[in-house]
Amino acid sequence: MHKDKSASNNQRGKGRPRNSEVATASLVAVLNHVRLGQTTTRQDLERVSEYGRAIIADRLAILTELGLVNESETGVATGGRAPRRVQFTKDRARLVVVTLDQSAIGVGLADLSGKLLTEHHEAANITDQTKTVARIYALINWLMTRQSETPDLWGISISVPGPVLTDPNAAFLLETPNFLPSWDKSGLVEALMQRFDAPVWMNSNVDAMTMGELHGGTGIDQQTMLFIKVGQRIGAGLVSNGQPYRGAVRATGLIGQLPVTSGDTTGTLDAMAGANMIKARGTEAAQSGESAYLADLLLRGTDITAIEVCQAAQMGDAVSTEIIVQSGRIIGGVVATLANMLNPQLIVIAGSIAQTNDILLASVREAVYGASHPLVTRDLRILRSQMGNSAALLGAAGIAVSALFDPTFLKGWILLGSPTRHPDFLHGLETLGSITQQANDGAQAPPGR
Amino acid sequence: MKIVGLGPHGESASPPERVTLLPQDITAACAKKLRVAIVMHTLESNWARLLVQGVIGTLGECGAIVIDVVDCNFSSATQIDALDRLRKESPDAIISLPVNNTTVTEAHLAISEAGIKLVLIDNVPTGMLPGKDYVSLVSADNFGLGRIAAELLSDHLPQGAAAGVLAYDADFFATNEREIAFSRWMEVNRPDVAVKTATFSTIGDAGHEAAQLINDHSEIAGLFVVWDSPCIDVVRAVSKRNPIPPITTVDLGHEVAESLAKGGPVIGVAGQRPFQQGEAVARTTITTLLDRNCPDWVALPGLIVSRSNVIESYQTIWRKPMSREILIELNLLKSK
Repeated sequence: MHKDKSASNNQRGKGRPRNSEVATASLVAVLNHVRLGQTTTRQDLERVSEYGRAIIADRLAILTELGLVNESETGVATGGRAPRRVQFTKDRARLVVVTLDQSAIGVGLADLSGKLLTEHHEAANITDQTKTVARIYALINWLMTRQSETPDLWGISISVPGPVLTDPNAAFLLETPNFLPSWDKSGLVEALMQRFDAPVWMNSNVDAMTMGELHGGTGIDQQTMLFIKVGQRIGAGLVSNGQPYRGAVRATGLIGQLPVTSGDTTGTLDAMAGANMIKARGTEAAQSGESAYLADLLLRGTDITAIEVCQAAQMGDAVSTEIIVQSGRIIGGVVATLANMLNPQLIVIAGSIAQTNDILLASVREAVYGASHPLVTRDLRILRSQMGNSAALLGAAGIAVSALFDPTFLKGWILLGSPTRHPDFLHGLETLGSITQQANDGAQAPPGR
Repeated sequence: MKIVGLGPHGESASPPERVTLLPQDITAACAKKLRVAIVMHTLESNWARLLVQGVIGTLGECGAIVIDVVDCNFSSATQIDALDRLRKESPDAIISLPVNNTTVTEAHLAISEAGIKLVLIDNVPTGMLPGKDYVSLVSADNFGLGRIAAELLSDHLPQGAAAGVLAYDADFFATNEREIAFSRWMEVNRPDVAVKTATFSTIGDAGHEAAQLINDHSEIAGLFVVWDSPCIDVVRAVSKRNPIPPITTVDLGHEVAESLAKGGPVIGVAGQRPFQQGEAVARTTITTLLDRNCPDWVALPGLIVSRSNVIESYQTIWRKPMSREILIELNLLKSK
């Protein structure tokens, strides 16, 4: 779909050919020093990288030709001539980020630093796979066409409502992992890769939101954070030593399956405290007239969802408040167990239920503080996320940036100027093309062949 | 009418009733002798002027003094200058409609970093978060407005026709939502209709872009313009064509209302309620200044306005009667 602007820059046109192939490791190191803001001048770069002046000059020349760094601005003079600032060209290409929730789709465009440039969210029923995929295409196309110049696209990072088991050593995906029962064999990753000629990554919403909260929300600079997402499903993410904790096979935080008991009833945390429970109890209260507020909404044709119950609670409806408080107490009980085990600095409660009102947060706090060791709660903060679904988009962008500039993957494409020319990616595309062709040929073959 | 859109961060909407002021709240606000500034993208549109009236009136009832109302004329530089200047005045709150999503971000962040409460109207610069960088966003349900405009135009589109969309090329939450919702409604409900989009960067460009879009796609049988001011320019540009394409838009401005009442080319409007939105903005501002939590996104539903209800809708929105000329034209008034 997109022609790469640096295609003509692969070969140096004049001068002595540089021994660039053997310089790959230093190129990768220099680019990542600049990209991560560890240095902004040539002198600093020499010091931080421990390469000599000539090597730094050569590598910066190559990176400049590849469009990955620029020295167009000057820094502050400290005696002599003002030094040129070495900067990562974060606008060299764009990343598309997508989040699928049980009831919404979000899309956004990010630069190569992982900063979100634009985003859009809309309600959706993602149980219909075909329509959802078509909608994702349409929204990505809208994002791209609204840019003043169609940008190079270097990756698509998706977050989905379920655990995603992938090979931690794979640089990008070549097939769609299972993440929801209704999405088996969806071919989403393959289709996006072929349609947009870009590598694709997929992570769970909870993982992506934890990453987003860590880099753009209340989790900034936190070393230990527990992230709890409350929706139809309840999941957790963990940050340890400032890094997301992934577990053995990336199946962390599946707390929604834990058995919990309230009164005489025992069930999973999802069933006992999630959005479906809130919706069911709210609907009962509306139909029976127990809640006059919800009954009035129902009378006016409004579907009672968890959001309506949360808003009713915030408006002072006693029955709705009790439903949310009960959900918060049950969730708080589980979170207290995690807090006593993990001793986080910060617990962030996120998701539509937490976002719509403060009552859930208050009852989670009450349960956690009541059931935790005093040492655990001494400096513990329990906050509501302010990021909404933007956390998932920002986290997805961060995941893509980490993957693109991972030194092992970067070595494979840096001299080619674009990850879309990485040999593994091109091979993957070719293989997918052959499979698609065979499938099409098979579909067109006459019966009995 | 139910809110169908989601907020800039995917939030569910809260109704304006969530920010209700009780008599004791008003008494408490009056005792604080609050100072508030208003920074608008423009004051040229009927919508903006009426919204500001709603804000100022409600703030006045709460004893809050409006120290300035700035017209940024859609200019980032003007808005940045205004925000920098007003920050030094240390008002209790600033109410702002950001002119875009990128260049004015830092100036808005500096307001909240200075401890001044920031309430946003209609648009949130990318990266700013509710409760942290601003108090609340108060807007119409812009996704719903786009759907209303699509539905109104659909009745005038023959099978297999195309619809032209005149979209705003700035990255702006409200107009993005309207544009996306219009196309989405057509995709779901009129799959036979192809949507062709052109963008304009200034109101004065909209007519030219519309004419060019129709020249490029002769199958276009109707237009949607994302708000009323550029729509007036589009109406002028297409009025000499034969046939004149039917047009829908958002906001029942005076000229658009006249076109609708006279039978076209504007055949339907997704109406906002700027005065009520202004009241909600002011109530949100007072609520946060009384140290109470506010919803992340307060949204007001739109009004479906067609020729059959344009007079009463006009009165609802503008709080004054329609012009005598139109009333006579519609046989609602006999004497001149």
